[in-house]
Amino acid sequence: MTSIQPQNNGTGPLIELRGLSKAYQEGERERVVLHSADATISRGEFVVLLGRSGSGKSTLLNLISGIDLPTAGDVVIAGTSITRLSEQQRTLFRRRHIGFIFQFFNLIPTLTVEENLLLPLELNGRVSAAERQAALSLLEQVGLGDRAQSFPDRLSGGEQQRVAIARALAHDPLLLLADEPTGNLDAETGRQVLDLLDRLTRQAGKTLMMVTHSSEVISMADRVYTIQDGRLVERLMEVAP
Amino acid sequence: MFRFILITLIALLTVAVAYAIGRPAGEQQVQATISAVESLGAGDPEGFARAFEPRPFSFPADHGPHPEFRSEWWYYTGNLETTDGRHFGYQLTIFRSALSAEPALRGSNWATNQVYMAHFALSDVATGRFSSFERISRGAQGLAGAQAEPFRVWIEDWSVEGAGPAALPMRIRADAGEVAIDLVLESDKPLVLQGDRGLSRKGPEPGNASYYYSLTRMPTTGSIRSDEDTLQVSGLSWMDREWSTSALGEDLLGWDWFALQLVDGREVMYYQLRRRDGQIDPFSSGVLVGANGTPRPLSHADVQLEVLAFWQSPHSHTRYPARWRLRIPAENLDLVITPYLADQELHVSVRYWEGAVGISNADSAAPAGSGYVELVGYDDQPSADQ
Amino acid sequence: MSRILWRSSLRHLLRHPWQIGLSILGIALGVAVVISIDLANQSAQRAFELSTETIAGRATHQITGGSAGVPEELYVQLRVEAGVRPIAPIVEGDVAAPAYPGRAFHILGVDPFAEGPFRSYLTGLEADDGGLVLLLTHPNTALLSSETAAQLGLRAGDSIEIRVGTARRSLLLAGLLHPADEISRRALESLIITDIATAQELFDTPGRLSRIDLIIPEGSAGDALLEQVRALLPAGVELERAAARSQAIEQMTRAFSLNLMALSLLALIVGIFLIYNTMTFSVIQRRTLIGTLRALGVTRREIFTLVLSEALIIGLIGTGAGLLLGIMLGRGMVRLVTQTINDLYFVLSLQELTIAPLVLLKGLLLGLGATLVAALVPAFEATSTPPRAVLTRSTIESRLRWLVPRAALGGVLLALAATVMLLVPSKSLWLGFGALWALLFGFALLTPAATVLLMRLLRPVMGRLFGVLGRMSARGVVVALSRTAIAIAALMIAVSVTVGVGIMIGSFRQTVVRWLDSSLQADVYVSPPSLVSSRSDAPLDPALVQRLSTAPGVKSASTYRGIIVNSPYGPTQLIALELDNPRRDAECDAAACHTSAFTFKEGEPQEIWPAFFEAGAAIISEPYAYRHNLHAGSRIRLGTDRGEREFSVAGVFYDYGSDQGVVMISRQTYEQLWDDRAISSLVIYAEEGVDVDALVESLRVLAGPEHDVLIRSNKALREASLEVFDRTFAITAVLRLLATLVAFVGVLSALMALQLERARELGVLRANGLTPRQVWGLVTSQTGLMGLVAGLLSIPVGIVMALVLIYIINKRSFGWTLQMELSPGILLQALLLALLAAILAGIYPAIKMARTSPALALREE
Repeated sequence: MTSIQPQNNGTGPLIELRGLSKAYQEGERERVVLHSADATISRGEFVVLLGRSGSGKSTLLNLISGIDLPTAGDVVIAGTSITRLSEQQRTLFRRRHIGFIFQFFNLIPTLTVEENLLLPLELNGRVSAAERQAALSLLEQVGLGDRAQSFPDRLSGGEQQRVAIARALAHDPLLLLADEPTGNLDAETGRQVLDLLDRLTRQAGKTLMMVTHSSEVISMADRVYTIQDGRLVERLMEVAP
Repeated sequence: MFRFILITLIALLTVAVAYAIGRPAGEQQVQATISAVESLGAGDPEGFARAFEPRPFSFPADHGPHPEFRSEWWYYTGNLETTDGRHFGYQLTIFRSALSAEPALRGSNWATNQVYMAHFALSDVATGRFSSFERISRGAQGLAGAQAEPFRVWIEDWSVEGAGPAALPMRIRADAGEVAIDLVLESDKPLVLQGDRGLSRKGPEPGNASYYYSLTRMPTTGSIRSDEDTLQVSGLSWMDREWSTSALGEDLLGWDWFALQLVDGREVMYYQLRRRDGQIDPFSSGVLVGANGTPRPLSHADVQLEVLAFWQSPHSHTRYPARWRLRIPAENLDLVITPYLADQELHVSVRYWEGAVGISNADSAAPAGSGYVELVGYDDQPSADQ
Repeated sequence: MSRILWRSSLRHLLRHPWQIGLSILGIALGVAVVISIDLANQSAQRAFELSTETIAGRATHQITGGSAGVPEELYVQLRVEAGVRPIAPIVEGDVAAPAYPGRAFHILGVDPFAEGPFRSYLTGLEADDGGLVLLLTHPNTALLSSETAAQLGLRAGDSIEIRVGTARRSLLLAGLLHPADEISRRALESLIITDIATAQELFDTPGRLSRIDLIIPEGSAGDALLEQVRALLPAGVELERAAARSQAIEQMTRAFSLNLMALSLLALIVGIFLIYNTMTFSVIQRRTLIGTLRALGVTRREIFTLVLSEALIIGLIGTGAGLLLGIMLGRGMVRLVTQTINDLYFVLSLQELTIAPLVLLKGLLLGLGATLVAALVPAFEATSTPPRAVLTRSTIESRLRWLVPRAALGGVLLALAATVMLLVPSKSLWLGFGALWALLFGFALLTPAATVLLMRLLRPVMGRLFGVLGRMSARGVVVALSRTAIAIAALMIAVSVTVGVGIMIGSFRQTVVRWLDSSLQADVYVSPPSLVSSRSDAPLDPALVQRLSTAPGVKSASTYRGIIVNSPYGPTQLIALELDNPRRDAECDAAACHTSAFTFKEGEPQEIWPAFFEAGAAIISEPYAYRHNLHAGSRIRLGTDRGEREFSVAGVFYDYGSDQGVVMISRQTYEQLWDDRAISSLVIYAEEGVDVDALVESLRVLAGPEHDVLIRSNKALREASLEVFDRTFAITAVLRLLATLVAFVGVLSALMALQLERARELGVLRANGLTPRQVWGLVTSQTGLMGLVAGLLSIPVGIVMALVLIYIINKRSFGWTLQMELSPGILLQALLLALLAAILAGIYPAIKMARTSPALALREE
């Protein structure tokens, strides 16, 4: 499985989108969701993706994570062109190198907090004691060290999302994808979760790509993209006065 | 001949019946074990005729069956030779046993209270082969039976037939597949009535006796088939007829029986009863028949019998005497008796040793005749070296 | 695979105990039904084999034949003159023991001196009291196994009462046999061993043997011996392989066993639906979860394995429970199976169930296999779940609606294929059953389309009746089609099975009733008590026949004689018919009266009867004709006492008395070719104006107490015949019930899951002001609707199934032509059954929903 190993270890851009297009067939008509998107994202960057509902933000995330395949173009992550991988290889690539944070938290209801946390690690093989320790310390860092044995339905939304953040980081991925992580939380909790996410990813030097409506996040981002009429446009950052 | 161990025989016969019913034939799915049925048929002589006193014998009627007695046999043994001197011994015995005193009135032709058993053995001295066979059948449907006139006793196609009042000559036929005999027997001497005018007492108790007569010198000619060869043979046979109901004392372990035909024209019959205490029973006795046919009774005291050798059966591991010195000082007889074959143990439902023997003079070692010896009751006897 | 993932699966199963529990119950019931039938069949077969092995022993060949068996001189000739050995004579027969109702015994009369090489179980004879001598020397003595004696409460020296033909006899137990092992024990279970003389006396067959057993080696020596033996056989006596006879007898029950097996598989098929339903449901329920897992990087293969493993766990538990249940159920089934075999085929005494490990293994594989097959589709379905976090139900449902017409098309194709299979001119039962199952699956596939259609029709009606809520429940069925369709299909299949089997039994019964009405035309029937209801071959006492047929009030009497003869088709039941009418008068010609009792399928009566009575022709029953491809005008060969003879077939008559079929000839023809002069049964016509019941009474008095003979009026015989009929179908009825039970469980599980899953939706409705009563109404009306749909669909499907059962399966199994009889009662019953099952299934969820606070329902994700 060498093909799914990142090829540019530690150097060069992490994500390259080259002429990425995605269209869906809707009856007779073809609806273009994404049109020839190009982008380069470096390691350690915090990237925000803005856009209205249905503008194609989630589609882009799915393309980057290999869940979906583009109609045209290429996605290269750490030197690996994931569009050329098979479904099975893409799944394994995802499981190793990408962490997901969802709007609806999507913790596995039948697993405890700790098990949820360890699941991505386990999927990649046996969990070493050190890895387990690291994962549990992540749980401490999100402030839920005492809830390891609880089932998700005993946690509040904010707590669930904090577990989800820990889960996304547990297996030390190259890239974190967050799809409106605060969309289902009240403002205050949302802010806490965002702070936590920012802190943890930056601390670990991870690349974070977040889809959001919240303009609040923009201030934290290194780079902001919007999708307008199927085009990916980078919004220039205003230089602080 | 001897066989006064009537009750034993009855027991033997019923064991044989049970054995025949349950003989395991090769591998089988439905299997059960043989249960000892030795006690079957033993018991009450009530209702059966008994031998209390001498009776007039009448022929040919007495050649036929006496179904009112519990058991009866027709016993033939002989030593035969081909012209080029190949020696054979044969035995054909047909036993009759009444299962009940009175036959029940029945609606089926199969019903009977008479059971017949036959033992057929052939000793082929040249090849060293001894073969023995057994048949058991109910005395019904013509499968087995006995009749006086014309004389015939048979079990299926094994038979002895005779003509006229003396039933002579007698023709013996038995075919067991691999071996067969077809012989004609004449008689050189008159019938010998054993014991007291044919009443042979087996013990002190009245009625504990049998009716017993013999033909001791029967010139025999005919053919023998052994393996593929059919050979013409001639020689001498011996016939014993005995019937009785009585029981045998429990203290007896077995017997050694000798029928010796000497080249000087005399015959010796002697049986020795062995008791459990190791002693020889005083009822052991015999007869010496002179060349002219005159019998002289022999008592236990008249005969000295000494065992010179033993043989242990590889089949049953039973140890049998295998050579004897027999002396009758009053008759000036001193004989050494040696089996023609060591292994003449019968493999039938009852195990015993019965075989052809050669006789020589103890002094000169010169051949003195041939005969038959029967050894019964050695199974239970611990061998001497144990 | 990840341990944590397993744990997640397991917890999912545990969180839905109702759903899983019912699934397990369903599969357990399905497996139990199959296993119990299989065990019962195998036990019956094993018992039969054992009894034939016991009786045949190690015999390789048997000499049989003649109307009264083999002459005993032949045995003596073979043994003594021809020197054939080993050889053994046997006189045997079945007897009843009146003191032990339900137990039949086989008397084996042997010559103990010839037995050694043949049957070794005689060896375990108790060593006491000269039992063997008693057995040989005394009449009416017998041996029993110690075990059987203990069961009957008998000891050596006791007597056992038996009934031989019409006579009661008492046998003294001369001794007991102690079987050394399990096989011997079972072999001896129903044997009474006697001396051959005793057996001849008991069966009153002096001079005759039932058969002669031989052991003849393979190879040229054996062949030469066979030739030698054959040359000595008199006419009518045959030499055959021992196995051939028992095979021919065993063949008789094959169709019967196969039918039971196939019907039991229906229960399992319903079970498969159940597993399919459960797994599909649990996949649909977890689509979000599976989507998340896929996004987290769980591969398709892992998802597939996960779902399949879950099914396997359910299957394993269900099958395990099914095996245990099956063994318990088997104990009951074996009694029903044995009863039927005894009624229809031969005397089989079976006291216990043989638990064959192979049957259990088969059940295990069947259960797991069924589970896996059923879970395959949902497992694939699960892997196609896109790795997305949010999924809407509507996408699933729209996908299903896309599937509906395709499934319907598949259903139509499957049904067509089944039709083609049915049209193939074949006698294969498996092909018939294959087509039947294909039809059922086809109809199951058509169910979603039919449901959509019916709902479209019902919605306005429901709306008019119950307003918005009514429309809502009708709409609900269609909206949730992914789950409702399967539940409806399962219920439909199960109900149609009960409809189909019900119609078949009803039609069969009606046909038999009509046949009895037309064939039972005499007034009084006299026969010996028979061990096998479908035949009577024990003879009546000739003096008794004479006395009864000339009794006052008797106008005329006809006689029957039934024997089994050899034929190229195997053992054949032959009936000699005599129309004796000593006091014939102008009013009723007995021949005319009697012969009108026959209805011919082939041939013209006015040509048949002259040929039959005057030209020695035979008539054959429909099953006999069907089995052996015979028609009016064919020629058949039968072994007679004068050797094998040819008979022309004058006609084929309807007869539902024996599925093996019978051949009938005139008494005159019979007496020319057979030496037997016995009479098996007597048919009496009363004088004009004589009260039949009074005549029966007076004939009974005339018969006297010493004869155990059945004297029955027309009406009583008709009732007795129907009683036997009902008894033989008892097991089918039980199977029908069990399949329904499995279906009920299935529907319960499907509907319950469906409604519980709607908690959120109902919570919203409650929040919007629906009263608990209204929720209750909504839920039960929806399940009721589903029941209605299933019930409606099951009626045509059940009728089609009945058609296949009656015209294909029954014909191929037994050769009978049945008239299909549709009783509205059964159809109504089906509808009610479906409705009831569905409504009952809705009760628990309805109560639960109505009681749940809307807030709680809403909170649940």
